[in-house]
Amino acid sequence: MGRTLAEKVLSRVSGGRDVRAGDEVMARPDFVVVYDFPGYTDVIFRQMKEDFGIDRVTDPSRYAIFIDHMVPTATPKEEELHIQTRNWCAEQGVPLYERRGIGHQVAAELGYATPGAFAVHFDGHISQLGAYGTLAIGLRRNILEAFVRERVSLKVPHTTRINLTGTLRKGVMARDVFHHIVRVIGPSACRFQVMEVGGPALQYISLEGRQTICGLAMFTGAVTAVINPDEASLAYTTPRNRIALPVETSDPDADYAAVHTIDLTDLEPIIVLPPNPANTRNLSEHLGIEVQSGYLGSCASGRMEDLRIAAQILKGRRVKDGFSLHVIPTSQDIMAKAAAEGLIGTLVEAGAFTSSPSCDYCFGRIATMTAGQKAVSTGTLNVPGRMGSPDSQIFLVNAAAVAAAAIEGRIADPRKYL
Amino acid sequence: MALADLKGRVAWVFEEENFDVDLIVGVKNIKITDIAELAKAAMEAYDPDFAKLVRPGDMIVGGGNFGYGHPHYPPLRALSHLGLRGILAESFSPGFWRGEISMGTPLVSCPGILGLVKRWDEIEVSWADGVVRNLTQGTSLPFEKLSAADRLMVETGGLVPYLKAQLQSA
Repeated sequence: MGRTLAEKVLSRVSGGRDVRAGDEVMARPDFVVVYDFPGYTDVIFRQMKEDFGIDRVTDPSRYAIFIDHMVPTATPKEEELHIQTRNWCAEQGVPLYERRGIGHQVAAELGYATPGAFAVHFDGHISQLGAYGTLAIGLRRNILEAFVRERVSLKVPHTTRINLTGTLRKGVMARDVFHHIVRVIGPSACRFQVMEVGGPALQYISLEGRQTICGLAMFTGAVTAVINPDEASLAYTTPRNRIALPVETSDPDADYAAVHTIDLTDLEPIIVLPPNPANTRNLSEHLGIEVQSGYLGSCASGRMEDLRIAAQILKGRRVKDGFSLHVIPTSQDIMAKAAAEGLIGTLVEAGAFTSSPSCDYCFGRIATMTAGQKAVSTGTLNVPGRMGSPDSQIFLVNAAAVAAAAIEGRIADPRKYL
Repeated sequence: MALADLKGRVAWVFEEENFDVDLIVGVKNIKITDIAELAKAAMEAYDPDFAKLVRPGDMIVGGGNFGYGHPHYPPLRALSHLGLRGILAESFSPGFWRGEISMGTPLVSCPGILGLVKRWDEIEVSWADGVVRNLTQGTSLPFEKLSAADRLMVETGGLVPYLKAQLQSA
């Protein structure tokens, strides 16, 4: 029986012996990637010293800290947290990436998505590095383990394989594909497993789109997602890789927990209704709901293809009066490229509000909704209270549908504008 | 040190799949930090007398993929403040599982649990035997064994004491 990508990577980082799904291992992360956030980094820095008497992390180049939440700051307390993080990184010699964009995206741009690498974070959306064949797992508070010793305890996950077939219709984007996967296999089909995505339809999904699909893997119950590296992904990662590692792929006869084949040919744009990320429907069946704001951004969208399609739809049109459209490119690199292509100008002329990258729109720290308001969003999540009042509502859609809703002030089908 | 068996009553059964634990205290209360105030809100929407009815050692029972969504820590802190100890479910969402095990909360993944118990049944979780016993009805079911690391984390009381013990023994 062959081995999965996850089994191969975890074999290498667990001392080289052949480990299989279900084995309990002590695995040495190649990268420990986190963003500063109250209750996480501040607590970790304090616990390292006070509870464990550890002054320095070993091998600081393995670590990377991002400042992407609370950017820009709104209170002195937030700025104090950032100062503490800056000081800690300087003292430890740990790389700090501030204001470069949303960490999960910037991590890919900076080569932390090295194929075959094992990366850990506290935040599960780090799974998007799996788009490049990195095994990237969110450990929640257990991330502390990666700061106080070299290895983390882990059970080698089983892998469920998703084969995508068919083609993608106009106006259907990567996040529709992900939400459709949830609709077909259910929100617990990959519980505690790796969701491996492959199949011939991948050729219609960009590397950005692969990041979107892998980054949302947690909503199938998966601990992470991977796509076997191919020519396209290696062309992106090879010049960026931070360390030299063997590129791993799952063997054709790997021992999968399950294999699902999902045809995309008839897929329409999706809407995920409140109050949870499994509430997946066809957008066309929910047109006309009045919405007051739209968010195009987050680690799950806000990349070039998202900005391009929004600009295509909004070019020469206007955001409806009274509608708040926030278009936030996911990284500075993306923002610069979008500006060079003229996309930012088009979006601003149409009435979009845009800013430098920040995670803050996704969790309601800014652009906060009040009770009774509704938003269309390309953010990660639609649970109550995520973008403001617990009595506001979030409808997750693709970037094109956010743009279409911005024109009409209600949930609209983007395909008529394409 | 051995993991202490759980014994108590079933204080509530959440039968739904993919239960969002934030609903235990209500989303609007999720940011309350005062533990007494938070505990007052716990389960209020399900049974206004919940806080008065429960006893230390009581447990919560859930359905499949319990803790799906974006689980926060306050709901379980609130239940713990009321003396509840442990959650048994058909299955758990990984994010919730990892978060709560790291807090030292005993979680018992027991396929079939919804058919085994009713509210207020007296139950027992035997770690050594790997079974949940319904003492009221005289029935039992096996549950899924904890990994060694998870078991130690629950046994020591959570992530920090677990890591301290690990580093000392290294």
